[in-house]
Amino acid sequence: MRSSSYFAMPGAAQRSGRRSIRAVLVLALTAGVATAVPAAQADTNAPAPPPDTTPIAAKPYMGWSSWSMQSSKYPGLNPDGDYSYLTEANVLKQTDALAAKLKKYGYDHVNIDAGWWMDKNWKTGFDQYGRQTPDPVRFPHGMKSVADHIHSKGLKAGIYLPVGLEKGAYGDGKVPIWNAAGCTTADVVYSDLRTTNGWDNAYKLNFDNPCAQKYIDSQAQQFAGWGYDFLKLDGVGPGSFKSGDNYNNVPDVAAWQKAIASAGRPIHLELSWSLDIGHAADWKKYSNGWRIDTDVECYCNTLVTWENSVDDRWDDAPAWSNKAGPGGWNDLDAIDVGNGEMDGLTKAERQSYMTLWAINKSPLFTGDDLTRLDSYGVSLLTNKEVIAVDQNDSPVARPVTPVGDQQVWGTKNADGSYTVALFNLGDSPASVTAHWASFGFTGNASVRDLWNKANLGTYKNKITEALPAHGSRLFTIKSDGSTPTTTSYEAEDPANTLSGNASIAGCDDCSGGKKVGNLYLGGKLRFNDITVKKDGIYTVKVAYVSGDPRSVTVFSNSGNGTSEKFPSTGDWSTAETVSVQLALKAGTNTITFDSGNGYAPDIDRIVVPQSV
Amino acid sequence: MECTTVDIQHTEPRDNTPSRRGFLALAAAAGAATALGGLPAFTASAAPLRPTDSPMLSPADAAKNQLWWQAPGSSHSMIEQGLPVGNGRLGALASNDPSSELLVITDATLWTGGPNDKLQSDGQFPYGRDDFGSLTLLAKLTVAIPDHDLGNVNNYRRTLDLAQGLVSTSYDIAGVTYRRQIFASRPDDAIVVYFSQQGGGSYTGTVSLAGTHGESTTANSAGRYASFGATFANGLKYGAAVTAYSSTGRVRVDGTSIAFSGCKDLTVVVSGGTNYAPDAAAKFRDPSVVPERLARTKVLTAAGHSASTLLHTHVADFRAVFGQLDINLGTSSVAQRELDTWERVQARHRDDVPDPELEAAYLQFGRYLMISGSRGSLPMGLQGPWLDGNDPDWMADYHTDINIQMNYWMADRAGLSDCFDAFTDYCLAQLPSWTDVTQRLFNDSTNRYRNSSDKIAGWTVAISTNPYGGGGWWWHPAGNAWLCQSLFEHYEYTQDGAYLKKIYPLLKGAVEFWEARLITTTVTDASGASREVLIADSDWSPEQGPLDAKGITYAQELVWNLFGNYRTATAVLAKDTAYGKTVDGLRRRLYLPVVSPKTGWLEEWMSPDNLGETTHRHLSPLIGLFPGDRIRPDDSTPKDILDGATALLTARGMNSFGWANAWRSLCWARLKNAEKAYQLVVNNLRPSVNGSNGSAMNLFDIYEVESGRGIFQIDANFGTPAAIVEMLVYSRPGHIELLPAVPAAWAASGSVSGVGVRGGFVADLSWKNGKVTRATLTSVGGSSTTVVANGASRKISLKPGESVTLRGLA
Repeated sequence: MRSSSYFAMPGAAQRSGRRSIRAVLVLALTAGVATAVPAAQADTNAPAPPPDTTPIAAKPYMGWSSWSMQSSKYPGLNPDGDYSYLTEANVLKQTDALAAKLKKYGYDHVNIDAGWWMDKNWKTGFDQYGRQTPDPVRFPHGMKSVADHIHSKGLKAGIYLPVGLEKGAYGDGKVPIWNAAGCTTADVVYSDLRTTNGWDNAYKLNFDNPCAQKYIDSQAQQFAGWGYDFLKLDGVGPGSFKSGDNYNNVPDVAAWQKAIASAGRPIHLELSWSLDIGHAADWKKYSNGWRIDTDVECYCNTLVTWENSVDDRWDDAPAWSNKAGPGGWNDLDAIDVGNGEMDGLTKAERQSYMTLWAINKSPLFTGDDLTRLDSYGVSLLTNKEVIAVDQNDSPVARPVTPVGDQQVWGTKNADGSYTVALFNLGDSPASVTAHWASFGFTGNASVRDLWNKANLGTYKNKITEALPAHGSRLFTIKSDGSTPTTTSYEAEDPANTLSGNASIAGCDDCSGGKKVGNLYLGGKLRFNDITVKKDGIYTVKVAYVSGDPRSVTVFSNSGNGTSEKFPSTGDWSTAETVSVQLALKAGTNTITFDSGNGYAPDIDRIVVPQSV
Repeated sequence: MECTTVDIQHTEPRDNTPSRRGFLALAAAAGAATALGGLPAFTASAAPLRPTDSPMLSPADAAKNQLWWQAPGSSHSMIEQGLPVGNGRLGALASNDPSSELLVITDATLWTGGPNDKLQSDGQFPYGRDDFGSLTLLAKLTVAIPDHDLGNVNNYRRTLDLAQGLVSTSYDIAGVTYRRQIFASRPDDAIVVYFSQQGGGSYTGTVSLAGTHGESTTANSAGRYASFGATFANGLKYGAAVTAYSSTGRVRVDGTSIAFSGCKDLTVVVSGGTNYAPDAAAKFRDPSVVPERLARTKVLTAAGHSASTLLHTHVADFRAVFGQLDINLGTSSVAQRELDTWERVQARHRDDVPDPELEAAYLQFGRYLMISGSRGSLPMGLQGPWLDGNDPDWMADYHTDINIQMNYWMADRAGLSDCFDAFTDYCLAQLPSWTDVTQRLFNDSTNRYRNSSDKIAGWTVAISTNPYGGGGWWWHPAGNAWLCQSLFEHYEYTQDGAYLKKIYPLLKGAVEFWEARLITTTVTDASGASREVLIADSDWSPEQGPLDAKGITYAQELVWNLFGNYRTATAVLAKDTAYGKTVDGLRRRLYLPVVSPKTGWLEEWMSPDNLGETTHRHLSPLIGLFPGDRIRPDDSTPKDILDGATALLTARGMNSFGWANAWRSLCWARLKNAEKAYQLVVNNLRPSVNGSNGSAMNLFDIYEVESGRGIFQIDANFGTPAAIVEMLVYSRPGHIELLPAVPAAWAASGSVSGVGVRGGFVADLSWKNGKVTRATLTSVGGSSTTVVANGASRKISLKPGESVTLRGLA
């Protein structure tokens, strides 16, 4: 979740920027230990359905989450104050709708987000062991009852916690930890009560003291006991707009993994939000998914808007492309495409949203009101071919072009075909062309249009389509197998001309083990002897390394070039490839990468077809 | 000069040359071109004669002059992405969106404002949308087809067919190919949108016509039309109407719209106009015209014909004009041809590889705009009849200090002599008002540019002019001379005595103005000798430098040109011979600019100092180089003057606004610097990004007003083609040079036919390796001239209608 400013800064919500509106829980959680909840319920040990034997997160999970509607100011959604949408009745209603409409397509999670232990005024409640306890008004029958209903529909139940010991649970340090003789809340945190998480609303757990693990164990046991299959752990750092020792929640996440392992029930552990990519290995090791970005919700009169912040994902996802796989996935956040009016998006935007999520193999959980899906929304959420793109075994797609207003993304599928997405992120209609050569083949290829469920026939060398503003197309391309003969030119080749600060550097992931870097503020790399057989416009593949999205002006011979933004490769040691179009003449040519007045990616090599 | 081996063949008049005369004959048969240069107004017109045979080009022939795109335009960016159509008076931009075809429609006469003849306290003219006025939009037409969402279509393509005056869109949905054609017909005085399909599809949606000034549209069920009419505060009445019909399905009025359902085809016809009349005596109104009613009559009359009849009538009319010039600058690569027009513009810039077909298409696009925007009504101002809102920059008006002149530099050069008439007709209609305002107000004591002699005669204009006899912004004393320069040059191309007689009052009035205005001063020549000279009174070299400079080069050159042309006119017309001699005397005493010893440049302000911006957009002091001929790279011009002009042009730089680049290109062409002239053409083909100077997606020239805000200004779309022609053919009466400045990019091989030549000829030529291989001159009124090709010259003499072909030139 991303908390709003309801308590901290009334009325300042969506204009105040993403960082400032997170103060919420800090204030909200001063409530202290609530006493309203019958302890018996928390410890109920009624049998939950047998755990699913499928490995956790073998595929990106699918389902529904409560947060999009909770966080929206859409008329009527939260009649009893902000976030008041979250109630037992609403969860059950959405559960039934999910089961009826979307379950057969693979949507099987019903995830309760923040607030299940908070009253209407966002005041927290805890049991006598300092564990979050359901708000009796929101969930009059407790959390187990909800999970039971979810399970009765053949679905999985998800629940939510912020990372750390919420301040309200501390109880002067004297609150005992469940099933941990001698441990109280004072033993699980640091003596200086240093705070942690994205809102600083919790004390940082001190795992030097075994009581801290016991506290996590107690929460995990409780969720297992209630029958929950999924936990979203929120405010996790480094990430959640925090860094530094106090916000390093890697030990918390590890403790959760350990606690779940001994809880007697498989529980999917999902991390939120804007997780630090530098810790991707930790997230992969200890969790099943990680939000790569801030909330997709707009905290406005709709669920989301294009600019705030659906469109950020095109820039932010590429860095993570090689981090995801079975067991853990890049989470792009809720997929709110089910009702155009509530979503606040055009049809084109909704399709592009779903397309990007699918090719990134993001979890597909909608935050829409499943009782009010429109027919177009249903068609987006239930297109089996598109869902298969999300769920199949292909690697996560990457942009194969520079990432301007028009982009082409793709990935190679197990059967040798390619999944190819065209995007127009511009505000006007535009044509977008996918050149087969970007994928390493030429000649004829058959094109399947996944959204329109149609075979478009055979296209030679490329496909061009007109896309509406913010629009997309999604294809499966099958080549007849011809591969162009190419020549590879290493950036570090001594025949090249380096100018400015440009210099050769080692790079294990790069061909030849080297790259040319320090391309900034006038630094240039010129390949001098690019030889082709015919005049023409060539698809030149550029292998490069860039820890963040960076632009470089690329030109052949005396051209003026184009400033091209290359997507992030995730770090400064991983090489990826994009293709650019350049005119080359028969014979010898130069190709130049000019940083101009900015900072450019490092270049590994270029690959040029020998002829067109 | 070397003696030539030119082979002269006198041939028959070229009436049977299929490439050009065939179409003219067709047009005449169609009765389409009714009295070009006639009364420019929205009036009832006689039923057009319809062609009996299809005038449509074969797809292969049409493809030679087509621009194309693979995406529709945005309704939010029509000026850069809409495709223009026009019938010479009505102009429209079309979005070509499958699910929502949008046409924003302008009538060239839909101007707010009025005579604007009360000066401000500074002696200059008010320049607002209510007093001076502005060109505004007439209507927006929307054809909504909700099922045709762009997200579902494949193989989208839209084409601007320059030769046939046609915008086409095609796309596929679920196995059906849908096609629409949009054209603005001059014979039927209406814009037609024709929807068709192949494969069993149909159209369901609505046609809506909306005004842009708060008008209410009403619809008539029985008549199956929708229309509106209103009156501006200035009393101008205007209106528009639309109707729709289909051979299948249902078309009916629904509220204020026209609904259609299950139609296998659909034809939508829209028209409109105003009661503007080009008649100062009638206060520029025709009280007999009721525009809304006339618009209804026009659309319902047109709707009595099938879409294909309307199309054929239009194409017969359009092709006849377009076909008067053909150009081939060389062959582009297969890779370039595969790109759509916008991709090609981007690749041209990215790769800096010449794309001769694109460059030729840019010229033909300019011609397309002129045929669409300048026939039978007011001339084209800063945007022609293509607006996307009611607050165009500078009112989309007539700027007399370069822009309107540049708009028409291309007309005679590029085989569109008749399109010049709108410009002439405008000046003639405005002359009574211009004369009245000049004589009443120019010498107002508050006007810093007034004649210090207190004498006043003739007429002049302000920098901006409107169609109601009004000026805007500041007085522009030399504006009269520059208008006359353009008007007289048209005579040089046509050698049409009746035309000269018509414009004679304009010439004479301008001469009289200058006779009253010139003042005497004494200058010392380089030799140290003093002499008394005549110079222009206090003035502003256009848009830069001091406001009270006397003897600015701009004025001196223009008056020198004006007096000379006037003398030609008196001689040809055998009129005012005595006064002509007086003018000769004045001309002999006119001061002409010298080269500054400080800067080495031809002086702009009769001062050795650079008093303005070095790289200023205007080339006012070089007006004697282009469009004038006083400064020439031959023995007629002292070397120091030629060097000073070249140095000034060099200092002005190679990167400016589109029209300024075009003017620079024309000047470099005159100096026979082919590569610089070409580079400036190429600079105007740069893709405009975020409003930067260059070409928009639809090839409209974009003028960067400020960082991030570019506007459409049409002059570069005409000035750049003029430069392309000037690189291929230079002419002045009695002298023609072929390929004076052909750049390497076009040198390999090419041809052009239909180029207008001053002195009354039309030239066709072919070349190889930069050398003319064949040239044909046809007299359209001229009798003799010298032709220079490949370094050799030859004198030719022809009677009107005769041709001569020069061979063996290489």
